[in-house]
Amino acid sequence: MSGSFLRVSIWAYLVIFFLYLLGPLVIMSVTAFNSSAFPRMSPWECLTFQWFDELFRDQRILNGIKNSLIIGAGTVVLSVAMGLAGALMLTQIWPKLRATYYTVIIAPILIPGVVLGISTLVFWDRINRMLGLGADSVLSNGVFLTVIGQSTFIASYCMLVLVARLQRYDVALTEAALDLGATHAQAFRKILLPFMRPAIASAAVLAFLASFENYNTTTFTFGEYPTLTIELAQKVRYGITPSISALAFIIVALTVFFALLNEAKLKRQELVAAVRKNATVEELAGKIKLPSFFAGNAAAVLVVIFAVATITVVGTATAYDPAQCVANVREQKRLEAEQRIQELRQQREEQRKQREAEEAEQGGAQSAPRPSNNSGFGNVFAPNTLGGDSEETQPQSETPPSSNDGFGGAFDPNSLQND
Amino acid sequence: MPKFLKEFFNRNGTGMGLAILGLVLFWTIGLIILPQLSMLDFSFRPNLPPPEIGGPKDVYTLENYKYLIYGPEGGSQDYNAVDLRVFFRTLIAAVCVTIFNLIICYPIAYYLGQSKGSHIRIFAIMLIIPYWINEILRAFALRIIFGETGVLNTLFVGLGIFDTPFDFIRNDIALYAGLGYAYILLMIFPIYNVIESLDHNQIEAARDLGAPWWRIHWRVVIPYAKPGISSGCTMVFMLSAGALAAPQILGGPSSLWFTQLIYQQFNDNNDWPQGAAYAIVLLVTCILFVLAVMRLFKVNMGDIGK
Repeated sequence: MSGSFLRVSIWAYLVIFFLYLLGPLVIMSVTAFNSSAFPRMSPWECLTFQWFDELFRDQRILNGIKNSLIIGAGTVVLSVAMGLAGALMLTQIWPKLRATYYTVIIAPILIPGVVLGISTLVFWDRINRMLGLGADSVLSNGVFLTVIGQSTFIASYCMLVLVARLQRYDVALTEAALDLGATHAQAFRKILLPFMRPAIASAAVLAFLASFENYNTTTFTFGEYPTLTIELAQKVRYGITPSISALAFIIVALTVFFALLNEAKLKRQELVAAVRKNATVEELAGKIKLPSFFAGNAAAVLVVIFAVATITVVGTATAYDPAQCVANVREQKRLEAEQRIQELRQQREEQRKQREAEEAEQGGAQSAPRPSNNSGFGNVFAPNTLGGDSEETQPQSETPPSSNDGFGGAFDPNSLQND
Repeated sequence: MPKFLKEFFNRNGTGMGLAILGLVLFWTIGLIILPQLSMLDFSFRPNLPPPEIGGPKDVYTLENYKYLIYGPEGGSQDYNAVDLRVFFRTLIAAVCVTIFNLIICYPIAYYLGQSKGSHIRIFAIMLIIPYWINEILRAFALRIIFGETGVLNTLFVGLGIFDTPFDFIRNDIALYAGLGYAYILLMIFPIYNVIESLDHNQIEAARDLGAPWWRIHWRVVIPYAKPGISSGCTMVFMLSAGALAAPQILGGPSSLWFTQLIYQQFNDNNDWPQGAAYAIVLLVTCILFVLAVMRLFKVNMGDIGK
């Protein structure tokens, strides 16, 4: 009894947990397709692809992507090289120094990114001044500083990935190569490097992703080369539009695609290995068939479905025109707003009549009715009343804004009410 | 040449040895140690225009640190109440985020570590995917959800739970949810790594001896997972105390995170030494705090980062 209860609660917990983890990403992706000028899911207006158009026309975003790629490439090269050197050093350092050395190279992971950014900026600024170079030298260049700043901690990640594989390396292999007359450089290039290749590849991917999404360090060092993350942060802080959702959707889709692709590849390797293990002799005799790419490989099937879905969506996007729907929504909003105005007018009219009647009753004892006399309705003519029942009048201002100006002050507490 | 250096070159060859040594020295000294020392030195200096740097006015001073505690000289208050409040609020909130993360991540890490089956791989992918999405976009996603016309408010008002939209952003709920969200993976993976290596027979044995499930966790699993828990907590604490993006995007208009003060000193006030001093205070406090907590729970420094 308690076992099944436990199982149910575990599954319920898992569902809630993954809703918390993935729900925001799904909702954000969906808002990219809503024609509402403020990214939201409800009320759903029209299916639209205009935010993607807007995204691809945004020069700052495109420029940010370019800078991110340049900086990412630099960071990958520098941090993988330093990480590999650091890992090699860790396996052969003097034992007494080992603990200290390990603490030093692991520390950047724990140091807040803000601190790394500041220290990089301050330090290279000082070097720059000591060398007597001007403000426009290489050492104060945004790309250089960002690569250096990011590599400081990304190299630690790389080192951790690389050292895990290096520990399984048999040093005897290098020694054998050296005995056979290879130089140290040759032994490194032909023996150690091929062995390390998978780890180097994962370290490089990790380094690139870490560099691409870094904000805390970059925000102090970017100078005149804002990366994509910096541009995004500026946009999100000073006014949010669904074109950010569109970018997010693209990134989410790419991530899911590559994760599935990687999973499919791993799964296939496993399947192939399993078959080989059971049937080495048959294989050598050419009797065995390796499993096809899709057999027993759910991830591979998903990859294909995903690709087909993408092509369908892009195909629809080029043919689909939401103008009619957008016009309908606009028309409906206009009607609603008119109705509201009508209702308000009617209300006022009634109140006026009521007041007149009241005044007549009082026999004009008072020349002008004080607001306190009819407390319930007295303020109806004050301009603030309209703002008072914002629930009612909101749709008036909701007619699709011509631009994002309305949301410019995203941090202004009122701006949220305005939309 | 010392013996170990000679051995090192013998083993790696002169060229390779020099390359390795050069890269390691550049990284450890040029990128890690010297910049931190340089920042420390910088934080003790007055804020001078560039031509006066190195001049007679460029002397060591405690001014920048005094500013954090006492505020501007001749100010109306005895203490710099605003900045100090932000500082302590940041630390307390970071602790809360860490505890919250530990509570929600421990069951998941335990489940993933102890169950077998192909669905575990799918869960692992689902865990990693959000971590590959940009930090800014993750905060943005939560902003959409917690906004005044966001999904949550629409839902709650629609269900009649609230009469009017609840301002999650102004009440900092969005901020805490965002910080917790950002570092879930960093909490799960270290704990998962440790629990995965726990022999299931130990749990079976405890169960056979009649221990209820909570005592199995309290007496068997948690003591075993302590290194993982401490690495996870350390990382989440340091990263959320040093977070900048989430507070900037999800923080309410009136509440600040300490890193935002540092950012303001650098970018708005252009007072680099002051910003450096604040950064040093943050770094040193966080490290001391982590070390103190680790001593309290009797965890070794060497276990971190494994």
